[in-house]
Amino acid sequence: MRTTEERIADVRRLLAAAHAVHADRARIAPAIAASTELSPEGVELGFDSLEREATDAELRGLVAVAGDAPHVHVVLSANVFVAPLRALALARAASPSVSIRPSPRDPILTRALVVTARDPAIVLTDERGVSRIPPGEVHVYGRDATIAAVHAAVPSGVTVRGHGAGMGVAVVSHACDLQEAARALAGDVVAFDQRGCLSPRVAFVLGSSDRANVFARALGDALASWQERVPRGRLAGDELEAAARWRDVTPFAGSLHASPAYAVAVVPAFDAYLVPPPGRHVLVVPVPDAASAADLLAPLAQHVVAVGSDDPSTPAPPHARRSALGAMQRPPLDGPVDLRPSSGSVPRDA
Amino acid sequence: MSLLEESDALHARARAVITAFAGGRAMPEPFDALAVDVARFQARAVPGYARLCAARGADPAAFAHAGDAPAVPTDAFKVASVFAFAPSGARVVFRTSGTTVGARGTHAMRDAGTYDAAALAFGRATLARDMREPAVLVLGPSAAEAPDSSLAHMCSSFVDAFDPHPAGPAYFVHGGALDLDGLRARVAALAPSRPVLLLATSFALVHLLDAVGRERIALPAGSRVMQTGGFKGRSREVAPDELRRGVAEAFGVPEAAVAGEYGMTELSSQFWEAKLVDPAAPPATYVEPPWARVVPVDPVSLAPVEHGAIGIARIEDLANVDSAFAVVTQDRVRRVDRGFELLGRMPGAAPRGCSIAIDEMLSAKDAPS
Repeated sequence: MRTTEERIADVRRLLAAAHAVHADRARIAPAIAASTELSPEGVELGFDSLEREATDAELRGLVAVAGDAPHVHVVLSANVFVAPLRALALARAASPSVSIRPSPRDPILTRALVVTARDPAIVLTDERGVSRIPPGEVHVYGRDATIAAVHAAVPSGVTVRGHGAGMGVAVVSHACDLQEAARALAGDVVAFDQRGCLSPRVAFVLGSSDRANVFARALGDALASWQERVPRGRLAGDELEAAARWRDVTPFAGSLHASPAYAVAVVPAFDAYLVPPPGRHVLVVPVPDAASAADLLAPLAQHVVAVGSDDPSTPAPPHARRSALGAMQRPPLDGPVDLRPSSGSVPRDA
Repeated sequence: MSLLEESDALHARARAVITAFAGGRAMPEPFDALAVDVARFQARAVPGYARLCAARGADPAAFAHAGDAPAVPTDAFKVASVFAFAPSGARVVFRTSGTTVGARGTHAMRDAGTYDAAALAFGRATLARDMREPAVLVLGPSAAEAPDSSLAHMCSSFVDAFDPHPAGPAYFVHGGALDLDGLRARVAALAPSRPVLLLATSFALVHLLDAVGRERIALPAGSRVMQTGGFKGRSREVAPDELRRGVAEAFGVPEAAVAGEYGMTELSSQFWEAKLVDPAAPPATYVEPPWARVVPVDPVSLAPVEHGAIGIARIEDLANVDSAFAVVTQDRVRRVDRGFELLGRMPGAAPRGCSIAIDEMLSAKDAPS
């Protein structure tokens, strides 16, 4: 069995590959722009979130949560384009033998990382089925339905680790500078055009409705500024439909600051139906205190992957990643992005 | 004129249209004329609708045709009050089915008379067409048991109007449970010459079929079965053709006598399968009353699509005086010669990232309503 140091060394080889791929990103960026429909500037921004460095402590954490398996098969189904690095790192930390099936929609970075890493322990595959994989684990990154389908199809004895969809939430404290917080949060929103499970879609602003309105206007201004530097990419038909519907619903609940490329709604009371779709849309809700925000989020806690706040003491769902505003898209490489229990191991025969 | 007086006047005009239809007379005024006045009234009386008009750059004063009025997404009924009066003025409040994380949609009515008149007039002209004094049986709760269900309200109004002196019980769901023995006994006691109008949700019919197996509960000749709604996780899903066939076999009626209704809590009017008035009409084709229109629109621009093209349903309902004259749903429809074809929801597109979709979040745990 490999030691922790050997596992860390294996992961560091992947980080070195990520470094090389990042340095040579101009070669693959156009293809990534085509497959993700992010703007070229959006792809460049997304590359900022590709992990290339990690401390030993972070990697020890990664190895600790990765577990141990004779083989790990990785299925990438729905993920942002930089997700393959962390998926590979977790799999490689767990196992001396890894196979990975890239997302059919967006295989480019996965292929680039595997080819560049030249790690004989990692094999690329286009095999869609999982019924004949060797004993070990399957790591699935996708919708709940995909995870369930994989779980139903794997052979007896194989453990499925599902990493499902989710969303991020921001909490803006009483003390913070609203303009600064808005600028920071806008960066988190713009990355990947908000299609990531860390992407913030709701911002709770502590204080009065006036304060929430000030923040919303500042966030709108910041998103407008980002739009000039990093234009939003093309939204697909279903994304445009969801956006149009959300923009027509929010006036009934509150006010909307919108342009064709972004929209910020301010509503006096939170409702799950008002959570915006991806595509640079944010719902701003005033709350008296952080505990109130946590209470409002409670019914959705299972879907909240990340909480960003200027106040580190802000309550958050127990398995959500916490970060500062502006850093929500760059969690340390100390484990999976998604720490929810639903992403834990589920043996096929459990 | 106060808003209430204006509302009363619009209700009177809407009822005049319905009464004219029921009496076989021409509409007393053009659809667009009443539509424009109702939409302008709503822009004054419903703050959210005023904001929607502003957000869409639509000036109510400039409305010239029904299509000029922005449509209200059905989800708006879940997040806000979409009615033109103080909450204390609500006489009837209908609610949509709910989820664990989202609010239930609410459609409040200050005056349910227009709703009732519309339902009865078009129900009589379609579902109960050519039926003489049918016995009306409901595989659902009564309005008294489910006062916030628009479907229960409609079914109860049909019982009261079409079968005012029932010879036995009319409702066969109590406390959420199907009263199959009660239904068997009621049907067995029916005079063989008296047709039955059986009103049911799709999921209630599935539960009944699962319970009866190969047993037949034969209805008298000339009976009809209404099925409406989806399954919403309340029963196993059954393909429409299969359900229709199973229902026809179970009740001993021709498949042509199993007819669909399309309605929703957010509306005051219903749509009925076209074969009720035209035996040659294909299945899943529905007809509108003259006071309502279903317009397929582009799901992003909300502009009408070409005749015969598929769009989502923008529904214009003159009977929705105090709420939303025009609503837009996520149901796909297509205009055909005899009405509109109902095609259901668009299947989910392949995700482009790991951000959770709203539908996935809201449907994670459906709650019974």
